[in-house]
Amino acid sequence: MINAIEISGLTKSYGRHRGVKNISLQVSRGDIFGFLGPNGAGKSTTIRSILGLLRFGQGEIKVLAMDSRKQQKEILSRIGYMPSEAMFYPSMKVRDVIRFAADMRKRDCEEEAGRICQALEVDMGKKIGELSLGNRKKVSIVCAMQHKPELLILDEPTSGLDPLMQEAFFKLVLDYNSQGTTCFLSSHVLSEVKRYCKHAAIIREGEIIRTDTVENLSKSNLRRVRVWEKGEERSFSYTGDMKELIRELNETSLSDVLIEEPGLDELFMHYYLPKDDIVS
Amino acid sequence: MTLLKHEIKMNLKSILIWAISVGVLCAGCILLFESLEESMKEMTDAYSDMGAFSAALGMDKLSISTMEGFYGTEIALMFALGGAMFAAMTGAAMLSKEEEGHTCEFLATLPLGRGRIFFWKYAAVVLLVLLFNLMTVLLILAGFAGAGEMLDGKTFVLYHGAQLIMQLEVGSICFLISALSKKKQIGACLGFAMVLYIGDLMCRVIPDLEGLKYVTPYYFSNGADIFASGEVQWGMAAAALVVMVLSVVAAAVVYQKKDLAS
Repeated sequence: MINAIEISGLTKSYGRHRGVKNISLQVSRGDIFGFLGPNGAGKSTTIRSILGLLRFGQGEIKVLAMDSRKQQKEILSRIGYMPSEAMFYPSMKVRDVIRFAADMRKRDCEEEAGRICQALEVDMGKKIGELSLGNRKKVSIVCAMQHKPELLILDEPTSGLDPLMQEAFFKLVLDYNSQGTTCFLSSHVLSEVKRYCKHAAIIREGEIIRTDTVENLSKSNLRRVRVWEKGEERSFSYTGDMKELIRELNETSLSDVLIEEPGLDELFMHYYLPKDDIVS
Repeated sequence: MTLLKHEIKMNLKSILIWAISVGVLCAGCILLFESLEESMKEMTDAYSDMGAFSAALGMDKLSISTMEGFYGTEIALMFALGGAMFAAMTGAAMLSKEEEGHTCEFLATLPLGRGRIFFWKYAAVVLLVLLFNLMTVLLILAGFAGAGEMLDGKTFVLYHGAQLIMQLEVGSICFLISALSKKKQIGACLGFAMVLYIGDLMCRVIPDLEGLKYVTPYYFSNGADIFASGEVQWGMAAAALVVMVLSVVAAAVVYQKKDLAS
């Protein structure tokens, strides 16, 4: 099957500052793919390179089997993008922004836009300048989805949305996904990745450190170790060889030990830690 | 075309304010001329004999006691500055306002491609400058109709044609500045338009700076020169068109290669 997104060897730097380094990633068609990483890890750089907003030095990006550099216009006509900031022209009304986005696509999206607006309770008559971040996000969702794209690229889509709207948003995502739309979303919210994504990649300091199914990502050799010694409790994370750990523990005068699997949140926090802070 | 319509709509308020302000100011002065005519006659000799000052404002070539002289020296000055400032502002904001307002991600991810965004944005600058000229010239003509006078049609068209080329050159250079910048450089571009005007004044007064006449587009589009001679120095106007084309090509190269800010 042709991948919806195929990135190989993407390297992008901003002068002397790091962007991303040698990123390779595949997103299958029909997937809901989570893209996780701490602030400044390179999530937005990767997304903006996919969309052609950034000119990258090395690597290749294919979107829906098309070259992102040579067929940018065709790619953009078949995808929907929701930026994290969701900024529009302040003097325009919501209705006009949504129509402008549809007109630029030369599509009549009135019916679908109306359906999404109803689901997200969007007030079409308000001016953009009067909207909160959450309400601008809703407008952004309408603009990204109204033309029923084959691929949705969503950069931190739920930030600023209240829990009810987050629920309504993911209902829309699942609805489009059931009709064949691939979703690629970057997020900080681990619970939503666990709940809605099938696959995920974790990026740290500009490099992809893990790509797998969300289920497999949850399984790891990372263990939370709690040791009671001379009445004091000590705890640490451990990722190395179990025999080595047991041998080392055996040499101490511990009174009790508890070795447990970390929760998903803790696991991701482990991935988020800078390379130097990981104990192995 | 959708983007062009969008830009015209977004700039409607600005163009109305500028065109009405400049147009009404010019038309008002035309209407006032009749009541000033007598006092102008008294001042003509003094104004034409003020050495460098007269040369800088073209009053050594035209008599301000005639409608033609008054238009070519006084009104042309207001029109030239107003027009160039409007062109500079429009060009300066056209591309960079998207990055400054963080709307770049929205616009650049609609299926148009950078080439077409660039094309329609520049088309919007040209159309806005054309509309500004159309509106102001209509108001000026209304002023002439009200005053019951009219200038020589050919010279009037030549002057406003040269002004249009001058404004497009200033607008195009500021459009290049807009492509280079992530923020609207309105102040710098207005300053640039003023510096070009000062360049025109200086090259007329200081012999050592005569070469500036090849740099500033105010020189070939100067109202006093055109109304006095009845012609435009087409070589310089052609050079302005070349500068305009080079600015647009450079802006296109920069815009195609740059990273667009979020």
